[in-house]
Formats: sequence, structure tokens, C-alpha cells
Amino acid sequence: MTPKPPKGHFNVLYFASAGSYTTKNVEALPAPLPLRKLFDTLEERYKGIRASVLNHSLVTINLAYVDVPDGEQQDGEAAEQEIIIQEGDEVAIIPPVSSG
Amino acid sequence: MQQITEDGTHINGANGTTNSIQDEDNRRLTDEEFERYSRQVIVPGVGKEGQLRLINSRLLIIGAGGLGCPAAQYVAGAGVGTIGIVDGDVVELSNLHRQVGHSTSRIGMKKVDSLITHLEGLNPLPSYIPHPVHITPQNAADIISQYDLVMDCTDNLATRYLISDVCVLLQKPLVSAASVQKSGQLIVLNCPPTPQGLVEGNCAPCYRCCFKKPPPPSSMMSCGEAGIMGPVVGMMGVAQAGEAIKIIASALHLTSQSDGPDRNLRQPSLLIYTYDLESAVGPYSFRALKMGSRKKNCFACGENSTLTLEGIKSGNPNYDQFCSVPASSRSLPPEERITAAAYHRARERGELPEHILLDTREKEHFSLGKIDGAVNLPFSRFLMKAAAIKRDGSPVDDILPTVSTGVDTPIFVVCRRGLDSQEAVEKLKELGLDNGGQRKIVDIIGGMKAWKEEVDPSFQFI
Repeated sequence: MTPKPPKGHFNVLYFASAGSYTTKNVEALPAPLPLRKLFDTLEERYKGIRASVLNHSLVTINLAYVDVPDGEQQDGEAAEQEIIIQEGDEVAIIPPVSSG
Repeated sequence: MQQITEDGTHINGANGTTNSIQDEDNRRLTDEEFERYSRQVIVPGVGKEGQLRLINSRLLIIGAGGLGCPAAQYVAGAGVGTIGIVDGDVVELSNLHRQVGHSTSRIGMKKVDSLITHLEGLNPLPSYIPHPVHITPQNAADIISQYDLVMDCTDNLATRYLISDVCVLLQKPLVSAASVQKSGQLIVLNCPPTPQGLVEGNCAPCYRCCFKKPPPPSSMMSCGEAGIMGPVVGMMGVAQAGEAIKIIASALHLTSQSDGPDRNLRQPSLLIYTYDLESAVGPYSFRALKMGSRKKNCFACGENSTLTLEGIKSGNPNYDQFCSVPASSRSLPPEERITAAAYHRARERGELPEHILLDTREKEHFSLGKIDGAVNLPFSRFLMKAAAIKRDGSPVDDILPTVSTGVDTPIFVVCRRGLDSQEAVEKLKELGLDNGGQRKIVDIIGGMKAWKEEVDPSFQFI
């Protein structure tokens, strides 16, 4: 089982190559955090992770898929419905796995 | 419908599933079928109706490897009436720890033939159709169009995008699984199938809706490079068979299923399996993630998609290009590089000064063999340490193994195939470990692969 994040934090789970890149399966980050800032936050901690892992990964919050807004296509609507990662949430970074 | 096969030798007479029976969807099970499938027929949700759907369906398994073998065993056992298998490879010894449909005695045989031999022993009733070829943009639509449902058991990303695209265009549901090293993924795509471009309502997503962009090839490792645990890929293949059987038995694979039970698959989910050999705390985990529906702007199935079968056949899109990014043009100056042979020669002749030989392969690779005197510093750990030094100014020397040497002792770096080592050389210089050029930091060209080829043919290189 994944440990509960400490107060004021959320958990990020790293799957497949995200796990190899960070050498972690899980870590707690300070909440709240707007979803659109998630990749910046991770890039700060793990230089190069955006290009190697994040850009092609899918992201879930509490086991449900979310669209991570990318700089290119931000419209008013998207800004209004901004998703904020809350304390206690579980975020997962899921890169595709291709072998078989 | 015409049955097209490259090689008809494996098609059975399929006792009990002859076409002479008038109503294939509502006939009596033969005594053999009854006996053979009784234990699953009585499971709630299957029944005679579900069993007949299985018997009358045509399923395509693409890839007869770690996923395809277990997947094929269970769909064959369950009595899917026609099972096509696509694979252009032959059985190798290194396959057998996970590809349980083959055998030691069949090494060298085409995988499709080997797997069909196995399946015929398990259940002779289905028709097995071998396609002993690699799936390509040219043949994909011709092969896939002969079937009702597709299982993607392949081992590379370009093929995954190709199969998904063709399934979108031909409106075939796709059960896609993948696995590498210690993790696996499974997702049902395009099910129930809806026409390309339809985005009203909750249409099922395709592979591109989930994974829009491929990762850079450098970050994707194959089973040959990263390794794979048999039970991990086996679990995914078995789960894949479970989904395929469920879809067929419930008739969710049919486009015109107006009366089909409208359940479960409306909300597609991605199953993630993680297996950890190193952590006693989390030995394994399953997570089912709720996925979104079809994306409006999806390249393949979205509303303005221009993808066509003709286009795919004529090379548009170019899958190989899509999945490959220009190789990183790392160019260390020649004086910072040495061939494996030259390094060996200089060592033998005593021409090399005292030096540190860093081997940046992962420790499991290192454990199988190394150059005398090499010190292991796994690349992932190296990158972590380098990042830590930059971030919070840990002492630079931390990155080197604790070998008592002078600050100008040269460093040679070797890896598996010669890419990581070049990056390591650059990083070490960046961190100032070259003492402004006083200390030589040198890459061994081509890594341990070159060492095996140029110096020690008996080296057990993986």
C-alpha cells in the first residue's frame, strides 16, 4: 500500500519509465497545486523529465484520467475549469509501455 | 467471406463447428463442446448464447510472444472459433522463460507455427490461421479486416499506433496490453466500435486518445534491453484474454449491437500492474484507472481526422518516423574517446596510467560480467547524484566511487552500448570533475557490446 501523504501534501506515483527516471515509486509534494503547474514542479526536481517522460505520459488524479493543459491550447474555458490538485489526492504519471 | 491464409496447413476441420448447421447463433452445442466448455458456460453471463458467440467469432492475435502466448492459450481454451496469429519471428532460447506457448524442441521454428502446435494440443476445435509475417502498414488492413476483434500483443510502439489506427478505420475493437521489466498495462480500446470522426456521446477512445505522442526512443527500452519478468507479462496476457472473451461473449465487439448489454466498457479503464522485486513494502499493485472517452481532436478517430486506409498503405503517416526522434548527435571530441580494442591494447602494454574505470550499466548487467577493475555506478543513480549536486550543492566528489585517487587520475567510462557513457563524460565535465582539462575523462566507444566484439568474444553481453 502507498503511504498516506503528510498533511498539506499529495502523492505522486511514478510508473514504468517515470519510476526509473525519478528512482522512486511514490513521493509527496505540497498541495494544493494547479494541475497545469505539475510538470513544471516535477521538471524542477528532475531535470529533463518533461522531455523524456512527462510529455508523452498520461496523468490521473484519484484514479481518473485528466487532461493536462499544455501552453499551446489555453482558452478561457480551460482556465475557468482549472483543476487543482488537492491535499490527500493521488496523482499518477503513466508513460506508455510498449514491449510484450 | 473468403478465408485468406498464407499457409493453409494448420486449418483444422473444426469438428462440431461445421457451417452446415443452419442457425449458428442458436444451435445445440455438440457433445464435445458441451463437455469441453461446460465449466465456463455455467458462469453467469456466458451461457450457451455466449459460448456460441465465442465459437462463431474470429479473433486476431498480433504477436506470438510473452503476451500472445498466454493470451492465445486462454482464448483457444475458451473455444474462440477462429484464431489468427501474426508474427514473423522464430522461437529463440531467450524467449522461453516467458513465452510459454513455445518449447525448447521448437527453437528455430516460426513462432506462429510453434504456438499453433501448442494450441492444437490444448484445443483442436478452433481453426488456427497462421500469418507468419510482421504486421506492416501494407498488410495490416488486409489481415485485420478478416477478424472481429484484435489483440495487440506486439512489442513496439510504431506497431501499436499502426494497429490502433487500422482498428479505428475498420471499426474493430482492440484489446491492447504491454509489459516491460516489472510493469504491465492493459486497456480495451475502440469498444464498442464507432465510426471515425463521430465524437458525440461517449465514444470509446483509441490508443492515440490515451497516448497522443510517442516517447523518445531513448527512453523506451525493449524486453531485450530492460528485461522482463515472465509472470508480469504472463499476467497481462491472461488478463487480455479475459477481456477478449468478455467482449465476445457479451457481443460488445459487434458494431450493430443495439440490444447489447450496455455495461462496464462504456467507461474504459486502464489496468496497471506493478511488480517490485526490490521492495518488501509494495510487492505488487494493481490499479484500474478511469480513462476518458474519444478525444475530439484525436489524430486517428477525432472529428477532423484525415487518416485513411489508403494513406496508411502508401506510407502516410510514417509510423517509424513518428516513433523515432533524430538520434541525439552526441559528438565528443576524438581525444575524449577510445575504442574498446585500443583501451584493451593500451592496458595490456602498460601504457595506461592509473585510472578509474566507471561502468554505468545497471547492477544486474554488471553482476554478469565486467572489465577487470571496473567500478559500477549505475547510470540512473549517476543522473540522480548529478542532479542532487546541481540542485543543492552536494560535494562533487560524491559522484565518484570511493576509490582513493588523486584529483587528476583519469576516468574512463564504459556502458552497455556507448550512449550513456558519452552522456556521463559530458556530465562529469559539466560538474567540473575534469579540473579545467587537467584530468582526462574518456568514453569507451560502443560500450561492453564493443568489448565483446573487439576484445572478449566469450563475454556474456545482454
